[in-house]
Amino acid sequence: MDFYGYPRPDGQYGARNYVAIIPATGCVNAVALQIEKLVRGTKAFTHHQGCLHPPQDTVQVTRTLINLGKNPNVASVLVLGLGCEMVKPEEVVEGIKASGKRVEYVGVHAEGGMLPTIAKGAQLAADMVLEASKLRRERAGLDKLRFCTKCGSSDTTSGLSSNLVVGEVCRLMTENGGTFIQGEVCDIMGGEYLLKELCVDSAEGDKIVAFVKDLYDRGCAVGADVRGSQMTEGNVAGGLTTLIEKAMGANAKGQKVPIQSAIEYGGVPMCAGRHIVATPGHGFENLTGGAAAGAQLILFTTGRGAPNGHPCIPAVKICGNSKTNKTMASHIDVDVASVIEETETVKQAGQRLYEYAIEVASGTLTKAEVLNFDGAMEILIKGPVM
Amino acid sequence: MKKYAKQIDPMDNVATCVADVSAGDEVFVKNTNREVSYKANTDIQFGHKIAVKEIKTGEFILKYGTAIGKATKDIKVGDWVHTHNVLDHYEVV
Repeated sequence: MDFYGYPRPDGQYGARNYVAIIPATGCVNAVALQIEKLVRGTKAFTHHQGCLHPPQDTVQVTRTLINLGKNPNVASVLVLGLGCEMVKPEEVVEGIKASGKRVEYVGVHAEGGMLPTIAKGAQLAADMVLEASKLRRERAGLDKLRFCTKCGSSDTTSGLSSNLVVGEVCRLMTENGGTFIQGEVCDIMGGEYLLKELCVDSAEGDKIVAFVKDLYDRGCAVGADVRGSQMTEGNVAGGLTTLIEKAMGANAKGQKVPIQSAIEYGGVPMCAGRHIVATPGHGFENLTGGAAAGAQLILFTTGRGAPNGHPCIPAVKICGNSKTNKTMASHIDVDVASVIEETETVKQAGQRLYEYAIEVASGTLTKAEVLNFDGAMEILIKGPVM
Repeated sequence: MKKYAKQIDPMDNVATCVADVSAGDEVFVKNTNREVSYKANTDIQFGHKIAVKEIKTGEFILKYGTAIGKATKDIKVGDWVHTHNVLDHYEVV
C-alpha cells in the first residue's frame, strides 16, 4: 500500500488540495461563504470565534487558525478580517506563511464593505485555485500519514467493534512511522491514569490528568457535576457499569500504543507516534482540533450514525452496528459489524480499515464529502463568552 | 442461533453479550483458537456483561485488560456483572 498526496513546501503531503478561506472572526463568515460559492476548489473554514474572549482564548483561537492553515490538505490560504477583531489577521497570515504556503489577506473595513471584499477575495482565491490545480499527487511514505480519531453517536457496539478496529489502525500506522491523534477529554475521564501509564514520559501523563481536572473544574465553576453526569442512565441501561469501563471503550481507539505527548488544543505533535490533544468530545470543536494538529483525515467511529464531516479533513465513518449499517448506509464508509458477528477478527478488520483510510488519503471520497455534509466546524474556547 | 459474548482481552474476567441471553442459555466466547461456552445464571441483556471467571468480593473486574471496577459481592461464572455487584471506584482528584 502506498499513500499518494499533494506535496507541500514544509515536507508534508495533503490528502486534499483545498484553497482555504479562513475568517479571523465569525463576523466575516458571510463573506467567506460567498467566495466559497463563487470559486470552485475553495473551502470556507467558518467559525464563531475571534472576538470578545479572555486573552487565553484569543491565543488559542489564533493558534488554531494558524495550524488549520498549515494543515497539509490546504494548498494556500485566503485570510479574511473585519478590522477590529481581537484575533489579529496579520498574525494568522504570518503564522501560516512560515509553512511556505501562499497566503493572501482581505479585510472588510479596509475594502469598504462586503461586496468589494468579495470581489477582491474571489479574484485572489481564483488565482490560488488555478495554481493549486497544477499540483499532482506524489507517492509518499506511510510515515507521512497523520490520522486523528473520534467517536460520535456511540452505542454498545462502539466499544466492542469500531473503536477496537481503529485501535488496530493506531498500532499499524504508528509501527509504520505514522502519527495518530486522540482527544475527547470528557471520554478520557476515568481512564486518565491508564493513559498516563502508556506515556513514554510521565510528565506528559501528568498533563493528561490535568486536562481531565481542568474539565472537571470548569464544570464545577458553573455548578455542574461533570464526573457524575458523564455516566448517563442510557449508558447504564446499555450495559456500561463504571466510568472507567466507558473511558476504556472510548480509548480503545488507541489500544495500548505508547503515548508520545499531550498537547494543548490547537497545537501540533512534534514527532510521530500516538498523541493526546486536549480536544472536547463535541464534534465541531473536536474535529477542528484534529485538523489543527495536522491530521489529513479522521477515523470517526459511530454506533447510531453520526453523519457530520469537517471542511478541512475527510471523515471516514466506521460502524459496528449492523442495523445502522443498513439504515444509515449513505453515511457509513466502513462496516465492521463483522467483528461483533465473529466473522472477522479485530486485526483483520483493522488491516482492512487501514487500507481503506490510505485510499481516502490518496483521493477516494468519503460519504460526508460526497453529500457536502462537511461544512460546519467550531473552535474551542474555554473562558466565558464576554 | 448461537449466542455470543465478546471477551476483549484474554485477561478479562467478563465478556459482553452481543445477544439477549436468557437464564440457562449457553453463551459462547470466541478466542484466537477455540470457542468456550458458559451457562448464564440469569437473564442478561445485549451489551451487558457475563462473568467468565469466578470473582471474589473486593477483586477487580477486568475488561479491555484493565480494572474497570471492584466486585462488591462474590461473582460466579455465568453471573450477570453490573452495578448491583460492582463498585465504580474512580474519582477525579
